[in-house]
Amino acid sequence: MEEEGREGRPRADAGAAAAGEDDEDHFDRLPDAVLLDVFNHIGDVKALGRCALVSRRFHALVPLVDSVLVRVDCVIPDDPPPSASSSSPPPAPARGRGALAHIARFLLGGIVRPIQALGQILSPTLALVSRRSLAPPPTTAATAPPPAGDISHHSPAEVLRAFKELRRLRIELPAGELGVDDGVLLRWKADFGSTLRSCVILGASSVSPKPPPSSPREPEELASIPESLHTNGGLKLRVVWTISSLIAASARHYLLQPIITDHGTLDSLDLTDADGQGVLTMDRTQLQELRARPLSVSGTSHRTLMPSLIMRLWYAPHIELPGGVLLKGATLVAIRPSDDVLKEGGGAEAAGPAGAPWISDAFEEPYRTAAKALFKRRTYSLEMNSF
Amino acid sequence: MAATTADGSKVVGGGEKSNVDEESKMITLFSSDGERFEVTQEAAAMSQTIHHMMEDGCVDDEGVHLPNVGSSILAMVIEYCNRHVASPDEKEDIRSFDAGFVNVEHHTLFDIIRAANYLDVKELMDLCCQTVADSIKSKSVEEIRELFGIVNDFTPEEEAEIRKENQWAFE
Repeated sequence: MEEEGREGRPRADAGAAAAGEDDEDHFDRLPDAVLLDVFNHIGDVKALGRCALVSRRFHALVPLVDSVLVRVDCVIPDDPPPSASSSSPPPAPARGRGALAHIARFLLGGIVRPIQALGQILSPTLALVSRRSLAPPPTTAATAPPPAGDISHHSPAEVLRAFKELRRLRIELPAGELGVDDGVLLRWKADFGSTLRSCVILGASSVSPKPPPSSPREPEELASIPESLHTNGGLKLRVVWTISSLIAASARHYLLQPIITDHGTLDSLDLTDADGQGVLTMDRTQLQELRARPLSVSGTSHRTLMPSLIMRLWYAPHIELPGGVLLKGATLVAIRPSDDVLKEGGGAEAAGPAGAPWISDAFEEPYRTAAKALFKRRTYSLEMNSF
Repeated sequence: MAATTADGSKVVGGGEKSNVDEESKMITLFSSDGERFEVTQEAAAMSQTIHHMMEDGCVDDEGVHLPNVGSSILAMVIEYCNRHVASPDEKEDIRSFDAGFVNVEHHTLFDIIRAANYLDVKELMDLCCQTVADSIKSKSVEEIRELFGIVNDFTPEEEAEIRKENQWAFE
């Protein structure tokens, strides 16, 4: 590669010491394949966008990167900003969460906040944000109304457009969609093809440090699910968690279809959030399935239609996690489409005593231990219609 | 005949001329400047290049000549391979070894990358590429050019156009 344009560059000064013993372009000594390898280790799509501006060589290679992480800065509702007086509740102030927290309300009341009426599901737009002004962004930048003309929003699809060889894509939302009360644990993991393939949910009504051993412990009833779960609204709460998680998952899946269609080389896709609340994954087979058979939309809402589902629910009043944490009211829910379960002929039984890997491996530690402990208990079976 | 290995320990050859010594399973590597290095076959096999040569029976009596790798860099690569085959399970120790290993000047780091690329040592490539990637990740365009001595070969118009296309990358 010829070194044109070097005239006038100072040689061997203090600046060059920082750049290396001489003025040479270090990357000159590396073949393109190695430089591409470096870019594949960068991950963050914004950093890659900057790399594309460094030199012609970088600009030519960046679009060939096969692994990218997109960190979404904020989530914007399609509807006019809620600061205008409208009947829907304003989004929660933290990190753009509220815009996506349009979970169906049940007549059970305000158990999960925030809650919106069934059917009023906004179409969220995911955006990366760039600012043209030089003023440092305020700490609540993602949600403070930006000065007009100062901020531009770019969708993940736009940002990814140049990358033609993507194999592995990870997108990270700024926060989980589900607003749960403090101390409540709620995590879900779902995988999708054209529609839901499986979903595992882990919840607990409270997470607290383990009390010292001298405190009296309530007697454990391993065999049965306590009556209290039915009477104190606990079961209904868990159904709300379940449906909320499924709605969040299906909304994410819906958002992904255009990106998946645009990137035919994708082998794996993960859509996570910075809170670690929900993980949506798709592997190569599932991605191909979605390209071959586009998703069905659920009514007028912007989310994928859920097929009719079979669910199993396990409950334990107390679970101790490694690391000295106590979960109270711990619940594990494993969900699959009824059609899939019936095709396998196993009825509602998903797997043998150790639990199918899709359930036991859904979460990382310490929650993996919790899931395994819960799996040993008695379970409820539930069925749900398509929604 | 005995020889001194790169890390200073002696290798007992027991009079054998062959350097693919079956008892101690050693192999000799020659750097571009003619220095000899004795390594275990296991460590050498971390290099897919050498591994394939051993498998295909291409290693002659003398050992393996590596005309593309200088002695100081080859010594470092061997140190890396020795450390990684020695105790592959001690994750914490290996992590801190790796961190110290890549804490070198860019010039050296890039030499190691070239050697690891030629020798096809995947773990070392991953480590070094990640190190370079990490130093790029958080930097501005100008800082990247400065750090690696890269010349901006865009015309001002081209640069403005690309910057506009990639506006999302700049905050």
